[in-house]
This record gives sequence, structure tokens and C-alpha cells, in this order.
Amino acid sequence: MNPAGIPLKEPSVVAAAGDTEQLERAIIDASTRVPVLIFYISAVAWLILGTLLAGFVSFKLHTPDLLSDVSFLTWGRVRPAHMNVMVYGWACMAGIGTAIWLMARLCRTVLRYPLLLVAAAGFWNLGVFLGLAGILLGDSTGYQWLEFPSYSAIILFVAYTLVASWTVLMFRFRRGEQIYITQWYLLGAFLWFPWLYAAGQLMLFVVPLQGVLQSAIGWWYANNLLFLWFGAIGLGTAYYMIPKVIGRPVYSYHLAMIGFWTYALFSSWTGMQRLVDGPFPAWMVTASIAATILTLIPVATVGLNHHMTMQGYFPLMRYSPTLRFTVFGAMSYTVFSLLGVLISLRSVARYVNFTQASIAYSHLGLYAFFTMVIFGSMYYIVPRLIGREWRYASLIKLHFWASAYGIGLMTLMLLAGGLAQGLSMENPSLAFSESVETVLPYLRGRSLSGILLTVSHFIFAYHFGLMIFGLGRKATVPTFLNPVEAEGTEAHI
Amino acid sequence: MKGLAPLFLGIFGTFAFSWVGLTVVPNLQIGQLNPQSDEEGTDIYPMPQSGMFERGARVYASNGCVYCHSQQVRADYAGADIERKWGDRRSAPRDYIFQRPVFLGKMRMGQDIANIGARAPAEQESPSPGGSPAGPSTAAAQTPASATAQSAAHGVQTPGAVAPAQSAGAASAGTSPAASPTSAPPKSAVVAAPGTSVASPSPGAPAVPAASPAAPTVTGAPWPEQTAGLPPMYSAAWHHVHLYSPRSINIDSNMPSYRFLYRMRRIGAGSRSDALQLTGSDAPPEGWEIVPTFEAKCLVAYLMALNQSHPLKEVRSAGPAAAASPVASPSTAPGGKPPK
Repeated sequence: MNPAGIPLKEPSVVAAAGDTEQLERAIIDASTRVPVLIFYISAVAWLILGTLLAGFVSFKLHTPDLLSDVSFLTWGRVRPAHMNVMVYGWACMAGIGTAIWLMARLCRTVLRYPLLLVAAAGFWNLGVFLGLAGILLGDSTGYQWLEFPSYSAIILFVAYTLVASWTVLMFRFRRGEQIYITQWYLLGAFLWFPWLYAAGQLMLFVVPLQGVLQSAIGWWYANNLLFLWFGAIGLGTAYYMIPKVIGRPVYSYHLAMIGFWTYALFSSWTGMQRLVDGPFPAWMVTASIAATILTLIPVATVGLNHHMTMQGYFPLMRYSPTLRFTVFGAMSYTVFSLLGVLISLRSVARYVNFTQASIAYSHLGLYAFFTMVIFGSMYYIVPRLIGREWRYASLIKLHFWASAYGIGLMTLMLLAGGLAQGLSMENPSLAFSESVETVLPYLRGRSLSGILLTVSHFIFAYHFGLMIFGLGRKATVPTFLNPVEAEGTEAHI
Repeated sequence: MKGLAPLFLGIFGTFAFSWVGLTVVPNLQIGQLNPQSDEEGTDIYPMPQSGMFERGARVYASNGCVYCHSQQVRADYAGADIERKWGDRRSAPRDYIFQRPVFLGKMRMGQDIANIGARAPAEQESPSPGGSPAGPSTAAAQTPASATAQSAAHGVQTPGAVAPAQSAGAASAGTSPAASPTSAPPKSAVVAAPGTSVASPSPGAPAVPAASPAAPTVTGAPWPEQTAGLPPMYSAAWHHVHLYSPRSINIDSNMPSYRFLYRMRRIGAGSRSDALQLTGSDAPPEGWEIVPTFEAKCLVAYLMALNQSHPLKEVRSAGPAAAASPVASPSTAPGGKPPK
């Protein structure tokens, strides 16, 4: 299409007088500024810390003697520290920040009770900080994805309850009858998370289940956190950003509805496939494998819907940072789900179940899909909160490519390494140490990808810092990744 | 979509469906398992764990061992775990009923250690508190010579197989099966379902608990009994050296060392019995020795209690040995005559 006909919206803060809708949006955006920015700033700080921890974890895995004599730097403590900082520090806080903004926009009302959210952010940070300290000092619970000790978990839950009650309050003030697709996902996410977290905590720590059921609960929690919390926020954000940036309604509302309900129904039943061939009744694992396969229905409908919405507008990814990140994330969602189906099949799981391939899967979901969508939304939202545009298109481009190549390389390395590892592990004529030797070169490759991701995150944090300190561009046009041809005439139609 | 009610109900309904299906129903099915025992209520498995075991599990959790070591043996059709001698049979839910947390694990950057306690040598100079495993180690302790009877031996040695591991660290806690076989929950006798499996070696079992330190010496195992200059493999002393300096035992090991669980102390009046037997560059300077902290001792006690070699009625033991066991067990165990 003709790039000159680009329908990218100009920032609403400089809305032309008389345009009431633009003005209304600007007022709503302004009301969300403080809470959303608090969540974003905290999230970016945790992202940087989590990235440093990640690099450390990755290097230590193939250099086991690196700083191993200090108890709080031992690999087995830094790894859960990295994971929990990324999940609860970065992903949750950034996701909540975006969700708050989307909620206010879609309820078409100024943000009420901002203090509730500010308090929630404070508690949340405290909870993550205490949890991180607890893990490093040796207080980890030992349940994957729920390593934070109970004193941290309670604070997180309090913080979370504040956010969820705010959401419900906001819904009461909403204007307009129609509830947009994004709101279904956000409402789902905000209601699922507390139930999920409470169920996990109760059944593991308060009235613990017996024996292997603890593992079942653990993976049920982890997978539902991935799908019903992060997945729902990510998909909801994509459903908002893609049509918004290209200025075109979602292709099919009914398809979206099918996608949402099948997603809620099937993805919540996954989780046990990670325990394939473990000491469990076979039906549990089989049910989850079946549910994983059935998630192809929401994947197909959501993917089709996004694709049809984007049809003919793909060239816009050349210009809009938000669109580029969001579409990358939405495509990664499809890849993530397909990989999930592949590695859950028993014949494949036999080889990859206990290997690095499952790490690849988690990173695809949390990074390639969720984090990229959230980056995209931050590129859209932050200028609207601050009233300045992103300063350097080149930094955004660098951020995107370092992230995309980084996560791509990481996924390939972990998948190929995991497969090689599994193949030698399943060959009993080879010594076990051969399987470890096999995967080590791939792990070094993964460390390389970690460097790329570190670079990308530092660039982003620097750029974000410039925005926070008011050093963004004063301009009426958003920062495009590439100069729009025939600029100055039709660029900001 | 219009109206919040259907949305709320749907969101709640899908979640509740999954919660009931994947947590409540399994809890009804396998959430209240009891230990199994034979008709007399003596051959009880699994047994409640000692205090040191619990402490060791905490150390295991806090140092993230679970991120590299799994503790589950898959069935022979589902993986090469049994061929790798990680166990004689697949793990079952009942194996874990006294464990909290359960460390099934999702990664094998290190070996599966569901049965690492079963690999301990029969004779070990346990440096841990609680003293060395007491009792005669002759009767059922010997390994049947034939490889086919190997699994049978595991069956016969039932609670005794757990004993050395526990007594290594935990005899003082009074949960050693040999010391108090009745300490299991009273319900346990009920679960002794009558002869669900012909492979059950229970007839031979009652005679065994007396010979508590009997440890399954795995004949065809891929690890040597003795490593040059080092304690016997998988003994408590070996575990300490391995935790302190993994690469002194296996140069290819990718395990980090856990030196922060050990202390260097000046040798006073006499060397402590639990000092590590280190060689080469790991050895402390003259006049000093490396001793484990209490945490390290708990961790090793925990590792040595990891043992799923006791047969379970609901699980088929591997290979032809299972079929051989009812024949083999009465002849070897009660008579107390080592077949060697």
C-alpha cells in the first residue's frame, strides 16, 4: 500500500480543539498517568535486575565454578531468583500497568481511586523484593513458579486484591453498553489470577495436598498463570493495539468470541502434560494433552482474526513500533502454542520432557509472546502519559532486532540442545554425562542470545528513562521507525 | 457481548471446571493414600521420615537441587530410566506420600536421584550422627549372585533397604523401621490388599526387618563399587566429597560445588570422624580439615533416604526378575543363608 496513506494516529494529548473524542481520551490518559507510570517504572527496574540475573544463570550453567562458593550466588538460588523477578517483578507489573490503562480507555471513564493502585504497586514491589531476598537467603519453598516464601506471597496477594477490586470498581463506572474483546480478556485475567494464586497457595502451604499432588497443583498453577493471566493480558492487549494502530475494526467479533471462550475452557485444563509419564493417574496427563491440542482452536481463531485484521496493512510494521512488537508477539503466540502441542505429545515428550526444551517453551510464552506485546503497548502508552514522543527511532529499532534475534536464537538453541540432550539421554548405551556434554555447546549459544537480550533491555531502559525524565521529543507526530515518504504532507492524517 | 453477568459466570465456570477436574478429582483419587503393608502389618512401605530428612529436604529446596535433578522413574515403555538403572520399577504416587515438598523435577542436567539412597554400599562408615547402622549385616544383606535375582533381592530387603539411609542420619529420631516398625500410621494394615500381585515378595519379608542395614547392592549397576582414593560410591562420606568438589569425582560433572555447606577447621586434639577425605588440590592445608555443617549432614541424610526400591503392589517390577521373586525370596531371606 502507499505509505503516504498511513493512518497512524497522532498523539491524543495534542488533540485539535473541538474534537471531543480526542479530548476525552487525553483526559482519561492523563488520569492514568501516575499509577501506570509507577507500575511501568517498577517493571523496567525489575526487568533490568532480572536480565542481569538471567545472564548470570546462563553462564553459570556451563561454567559451574563461577562464584559458586557464595551461598546466595549458587546456581540453584539465582535461577529461581531470576525466574520470579521476571514473572512477578517484570511481567506482572508491566502487564498490570498496560491493563490499567486499557481498562480506563475501554471503560471510557477517568481513572477512579488512583490511590488504590499506588498502594498496590507499593505492596507489589515490597512483596517481590522480600521474595527475592528470601530466595537468595535460602528460603525458597521449592515449588517451581511459587518459590516466593509465604511472607512475600501474602503481601503479593494483598497487592493483587487491591488491583482486582479496582478493576471491578472501574467496571461499575464504565460508559457504554458494549464490552470490547479486550475487556473480556482483562476481566478474565483479573478474576482468574486471585483464584489461581489463592488455590495454589492454599493447596500447597495452608492445607497441603498429599505427595505427588503437590507437583500436580504446582504445574496446574504454572500453566494457568501462563495462559489465564499472562496469556489473557497479552491477547487482550493485542486485540486493542492492532486495530487501534492500523485504524481498522477487528475482522470478526464472533470469531473473537469463539476464540475467547474456547481459550478459557481449554487452556485452563493444560498443565499436567508437563508431568507426562510421571507417577500420576494416566488420565490426568491425557486430559491435559487433549486440552493442549484443543487450544489449537483458539489459536487458529485468534490468529485468523488478527491476520484478517492486518490483511493489507502489514507494510505498516515498517513504521509503527507498537505494531511491529505487537504483531511479533501475536505471531509468537501461535508458535508458542504449536510448540506446546508438539512437546506434549507422548512420543515427543519421551525425549524432551526432562531437557532444556521445556525452558524454550516457557521463554517463548513469557518473552516472545507476552513481553513483546507488552513492549509494543508501552511504546504506545508511555508517550500518551508523558506528552512527549520517543526520542530515537534508531534505539527502538535496535531494541526490536536485539530482542527478536535474541529470543529467536535462545529458542533455537534450547530446542535443538534439548532434543540432542534428550536423544542421548534416551540412549542407555551412552553414559549419562554424555547427554550433559551434548547440551553444553547449545547452552553457550544461549548465553550469546542472553547478551543480545541484555543489550536490548538496557537500550529500552535507557530510552524509557529519557522519556520519564521528560527528555522525549516535543512533536505532534509519533516516532516512526522509518521516515514516512512524502513526510510533512500526509504523514499525520 | 452485552451485560456482565454471562461474562462473570463464564469466567468463573471455566476456572471452576478446571480446578475441580485437575485438582479436586485427583485429590479424591490419590489424595489419601496409606502406606502398604503385608498381612501381618509388618512390611510397611513407605515409612514416615525423620526430622533430619525434613531438614535435608529444606536444604534441597533452598539450594535449588530440583532444577537439575528429577526424582521420578518412568516406566520402561516411557523412557530409558530403568535401563539406566535409575530404579527397578516406575515411581508411583504412594512412594511420595510422606514427602513435602515433593521434588519430582522437570530437568535432568543431573542424574535422576529417586533411588540414590538405594545405591549406598552395604558397609559404610557412616560419619553422621546417630551412629553407623547397627545390627548384623549378613543375613539378607548379601546380593544374590545371579543377575536375575537382583530385583528379587530388592524385594526381600524391603524396609531394611530404607534403613541404612535413615539410620545414617536419623536413627536418633526413632523412625528407623528396624527400630520401630509399628510407628507407621495404624491404618496401614488396612491397605494390605490380599494378593493383588503374584510378584509380591511379602512372604519373605517378615524375617527381614531384623537385618536392617541390608542395602541393595546393585550388581549390574553402571557405577563402580570403589573409586580410587575415595569413599565407596554413594556412601555418606562420598556424598560429602561430591557436594564439596564434584569434579574431583567426575571430571565431566557439571554440578556446582556446595562449599558453603562446609567449614574449614583447625585439627585440634584429633581429627573429627566426619572430616572429608579430600585429595589433590581440594585438600585443605596441613593442620586443617573440612567438616560438614549440620545442613550438609541433613542434606546427605535426605539423599540417602531417597529409595523407591521397595516393591509396590500397584506397580509391576521390571523384567523377568519380577516373576522370579516369589520363588527366590522365601528361599534366600528367611533362611538367612546368603546364596554366595
